[in-house]
Amino acid sequence: MKTQLAMVVDSTLCIDCKGCMAACKVENKVPDGHWRNWIKTDGVDFSMGETFSRMHFQPGNCMHCDVPTCVHACPTGATYKDEKDGVVKVDDRLCIGCGSCIPACPYGARYRHPEKKIVDKCDFCDHRRARGDLPACVITCPTKARAFGDINDPDSDVARMLKDNKTVRVVNRESDTRPNIYYMGATAPLNWPVKAQAPTPIRWWGDWAKQLVWAVVGINALGVLAMLGKQLFVNDPEPGHESDSTDGGKPVETEETDHE
Amino acid sequence: MSDEQSIQKDDAVETEQMERHTKLSIFMHWFNAACWLFLLATGIGLIRNADLQPVGGWWTDMMRGIFGGGANLLLVHEIVGVLWAVVFLVYVIAKAKEVVPFLKEIFTIDPKRDVLWLVNKGIQMTLGYKALYKLDGILKGRFGYKPEIPDQGFYNVGQKMFAIPSILGGVVIVVTGVIMTASNVMLENTAPVQWAILIHFLTVGFVFAGLLIHVYMASIAAGERPAFISMFTGKVPEDYAMHHHKLWYDEVREGR
Repeated sequence: MKTQLAMVVDSTLCIDCKGCMAACKVENKVPDGHWRNWIKTDGVDFSMGETFSRMHFQPGNCMHCDVPTCVHACPTGATYKDEKDGVVKVDDRLCIGCGSCIPACPYGARYRHPEKKIVDKCDFCDHRRARGDLPACVITCPTKARAFGDINDPDSDVARMLKDNKTVRVVNRESDTRPNIYYMGATAPLNWPVKAQAPTPIRWWGDWAKQLVWAVVGINALGVLAMLGKQLFVNDPEPGHESDSTDGGKPVETEETDHE
Repeated sequence: MSDEQSIQKDDAVETEQMERHTKLSIFMHWFNAACWLFLLATGIGLIRNADLQPVGGWWTDMMRGIFGGGANLLLVHEIVGVLWAVVFLVYVIAKAKEVVPFLKEIFTIDPKRDVLWLVNKGIQMTLGYKALYKLDGILKGRFGYKPEIPDQGFYNVGQKMFAIPSILGGVVIVVTGVIMTASNVMLENTAPVQWAILIHFLTVGFVFAGLLIHVYMASIAAGERPAFISMFTGKVPEDYAMHHHKLWYDEVREGR
């Protein structure tokens, strides 16, 4: 089976220390005001009274989905799902910075880098993995809430965790992108992913613009074929210009001058 | 083929040549053609998304194979695109004396004469002269219809119908191309970039559709061989000019 790097998160272990967020920001030089990962919460739970009030924290980042709506919104293929490790990546040199992928992510995992002017996102620390290290957020987590590995490798920690535990994925009802972050047991909040939607120009292109261009090209091509067919198969001398051979079909006179 | 050979023979023997294109405008024509084909091929190769790709993924694979990946393909597309635009900009500014009359000519339309030309030339090229007389028999002079193909000037209105969208389209293609190229250098707002992508694609598609007719007319259509040759020599035979561009021919002759 193909490699699919994924995370299995035990969100009950998360203490909201923001270690993963800080580690990621430093490791990946994420600019001010932007984050590649996050810790969500749905506020304080008072259901057991004020004394026993509690909070639940949900760490996350790009979910490296099996149905990546961001990849689908990218015109050039600068955003792609790498076949080798199942990670959704960005080719910096091919990205023209149109930002079409940003609203196409239900999780808000993408932002446009204010200096580079191209999209930036979590790549499971590609550069760290290249030298055999774990992603910065995973290695730094003090409670080991984030587990990381290839879920298609049955010997990996994450595959065993998935096999032995009930897990959930956080999806928007209208855009199930089949994310690759699994949460052990239950997690909260669940209602935050938005509907994935490419911007209007990209949707119009696929919905009708491509078809319109083909229609116009097709009509003109048919016109050319009609003219070519007439030119090849119809004898149509120009009336009143019998001696003139520069237009229309093949007047008999020019045939004769040919044989001089 | 026989009539084409005879034309050349006739030209050589009987008719004088008329100056039609300057060396520079011939160069600009072929420079434009080369840039267009290159940018069209590489541009289609830049579309990876299957929903948006008009030709098919194989084209994208092929182009990226040739240029060593999508990023390099984007780079050469941008470089040649900028080169195309800059050369034209310099040409328009430096040779305004040549360009302004050209623009004036192609944007000048004589509605009555030209609509009749479009209708009749279209019928003649597809259905033949007989169809013109049949139509005349049906209309019997209504709508001011005549079965003759009206005389035309330096360019006929068919050529103008391609020249106008080519020039306006060229401006749109350059502007949207510059927006996309500038996007990852200086633009903060992405909405104009997203619209630029769609408009760039649509405009290229429409001009390409016209290009099909242009290429047919120039290289295949009967009797148009002298025009094709003039895109290399700059000259057309007098009888060709008289037949195809009567108003221009008369103008030149009066001017002599």
